[in-house]
Amino acid sequence: MRSNIILGRGDLEVIEMLNKYLIDKIVGIRNVGDGKLIIDVKPNNLVDVVNVVTDKLGGIFVTIVGNDARSIDNSFHNIYVFSLDSLKTYLLIRVKLDPESPKINSITHIVKGADWGEREVRDLLGINMVNHPDPRRLILPDGWPEGINPLKKEFAHSIRPELNNSECYVPLRSDDVVALPYGPYHPLLHEPEYFELHIKGETVVGVEYRGFHVHRGIEKLGESRLTYNQVPFVAERICGICGFVHNVCYCQAIENAAKIEVPERAHYIRSIILEIERLHSHLLWLGVACHILGFDTGFMHAWRIREPIMNLAEALTGNRKNYGLNLVGGVRRDINKDSSARISKLLKDIKHEYDRFISSLTAVKEVIRRLEGSGLLPKPEAISYGVVGPVARGSALKRDVRVDHPYAAYKDVSFKVPTYSECDNMSRLMVRVDEVYESISIIEQLIDRLPGGSILAENAEVPEYREGFSGIEAPRGEDFHYVLTGRFSKVYRWRVRAPTYNNIPALKVMLHEVPLSDAPLTIASIDPCFSCTDRLLVFDVDKGKKFKVSYKALASGWKP
Amino acid sequence: MSRLSWIKTALEVGVVTKKYPFERVEVPDGFRGLPIFDSGKCIGCTACANVCTPDAIKVVNDFTNGFRRIEYRLGKCIFCGRCADVCPVSAITITKEFELAYTGDVINAIEIKFIKCVQCGQYYTVSRHLKHVSSKLNDEALEGVDICPDCRRRSNINSLIHASGVFR
Ligand code: SF4
Ligand code: SF4
Repeated sequence: MRSNIILGRGDLEVIEMLNKYLIDKIVGIRNVGDGKLIIDVKPNNLVDVVNVVTDKLGGIFVTIVGNDARSIDNSFHNIYVFSLDSLKTYLLIRVKLDPESPKINSITHIVKGADWGEREVRDLLGINMVNHPDPRRLILPDGWPEGINPLKKEFAHSIRPELNNSECYVPLRSDDVVALPYGPYHPLLHEPEYFELHIKGETVVGVEYRGFHVHRGIEKLGESRLTYNQVPFVAERICGICGFVHNVCYCQAIENAAKIEVPERAHYIRSIILEIERLHSHLLWLGVACHILGFDTGFMHAWRIREPIMNLAEALTGNRKNYGLNLVGGVRRDINKDSSARISKLLKDIKHEYDRFISSLTAVKEVIRRLEGSGLLPKPEAISYGVVGPVARGSALKRDVRVDHPYAAYKDVSFKVPTYSECDNMSRLMVRVDEVYESISIIEQLIDRLPGGSILAENAEVPEYREGFSGIEAPRGEDFHYVLTGRFSKVYRWRVRAPTYNNIPALKVMLHEVPLSDAPLTIASIDPCFSCTDRLLVFDVDKGKKFKVSYKALASGWKP
Repeated sequence: MSRLSWIKTALEVGVVTKKYPFERVEVPDGFRGLPIFDSGKCIGCTACANVCTPDAIKVVNDFTNGFRRIEYRLGKCIFCGRCADVCPVSAITITKEFELAYTGDVINAIEIKFIKCVQCGQYYTVSRHLKHVSSKLNDEALEGVDICPDCRRRSNINSLIHASGVFR
């Protein structure tokens, strides 16, 4: 039983450290579960606290949760989430802000990864980020009226404000730098996202990212229209490839908030399906990587090997994707004996096929040469951006939520966390290559030890106004969900931070000074999932100039 | 391993692409496809509509003409099968049907008659649901199920007042 009193894993150590470095800055502390701490600090101390957390406690930035809590304690909340990997703890730092004109000092100069999170709360909650280096919007479109912040509680989810004819974005124009549009619709990007590559000759010298074209307002939907057990079905539609992670992550966050004890068997089934999802996702990515390199034979074979995994998922859950498996408190479908046998056999076949695929792939020198040494992301940058998943592990950062913050059944299995230190596209590929083997082994172990018992907690009740959160190691890295439960079986606040959200900003580093031909591959090397993220990077290009043009002018056929 | 291994693999594996739709694709048992509603079984309890995430199931209460309509909209359905999970009389079956692309909107509706309160004569609930609930109650609890909540409240208050003896 997880309770408020029991401190787990690194908690005591963390509290000791907090005592030592931050005793005079902390105004409140709460333990919401094993390895889950929330501290309250005064807004004017935030920068100091973040400095200590990153320097002394080894905190890596995860995300920012903004919350309009005016109806609860008459303030806005900003919660800065850090992962203390080595202490196996999530540390949440909460500041309470003025209800009338909320403002807080930016921390982007300390952790680069906070850039997006800060701009997001500014867009969606109207919180003023003092000294933030980038005044532009992140999520709201250019024509969105000033002063309307969709995550404020007074804003109804069904409202569609009239967009005005404000100035809208135009590509950079300069004499010696060419702005090359990559997206928003591009054969190699399977979702609408816009990268503007600034090139000098053949070399990329800068990149500008514009995303959130497909922002669907899922958090708002969850907070206003859906009940606890309806959210999982929307959560898994956040991502078309690894939707199950969002589904589990949300349920775990609610279970953490409501202290619901999930049956062991449900934990195991969740882990099995999570690993099946990783298998198909990594194989999908390997195929796409081959395709981008012009090696379509590899693409075809990767996807051929992947197909039986999709069929397996279909047999186990009732669908190839959108498994619809989770409810708060457990899962809806059991895995029977026949299925276990089928899984074991299939894993053997796949291992064999995959071995052959990988050794053939590494024999193709053109592929390897393109991957080696391109798209470098040095370790210190990886830490500052708070990158996650294979991108982090490809930059020698040994971080994996399954190990750092164990959930579901991962505490019961043993597996390796592959890391590579070359920090290039090849490293990121190799991490995924190795992880497929680890996933196969994890599923085998889980099937072997699958405990009996029920699969859904009985009469799971969710109390009002409790906080909980959860991290999950998705195929693309750490997924993070935060919930604050509300009244009438609804979440008051549901925050989703998908892995790609932390990885895209680091592309600024990876794409610096690379040949143009390596750009698509490097962008693909983070295995971006834009739909998840939607939920700008600037380079000082010498003599760069920007123009603006009105929406009206554009609509009536403006030409450069 | 030489790159010739790709050719070897290709020859060994052969053609894996199926000629769908000319060749049928079988889906496994337990596949979550089109839900089918049995209008003969449905008691109009609205449980399915309450759990349906995308509002594919809608409840329309027509008090003038005396019926409740349970509408299912195919175009909104995400095939989660939650409705079948919660239906107390197993009126919903999740089928293996998946070739459902259609340009219009398909609405299937079940209409269930309302029943009138024996005291005031207003429609107040659907007859089948009442029957279903009644079959699970003992005689004592059954007393007053044929009158509407409003009338029941009134008669409860009346009997309370009576029992208290204020207006003897
Ligand atoms: S299958 Fe799911 S989405 Fe479709 S009607 Fe039933 S509950 Fe609604
Ligand atoms: S849950 Fe079953 S009985 Fe109730 S309204 Fe839906 S179909 Fe009818």
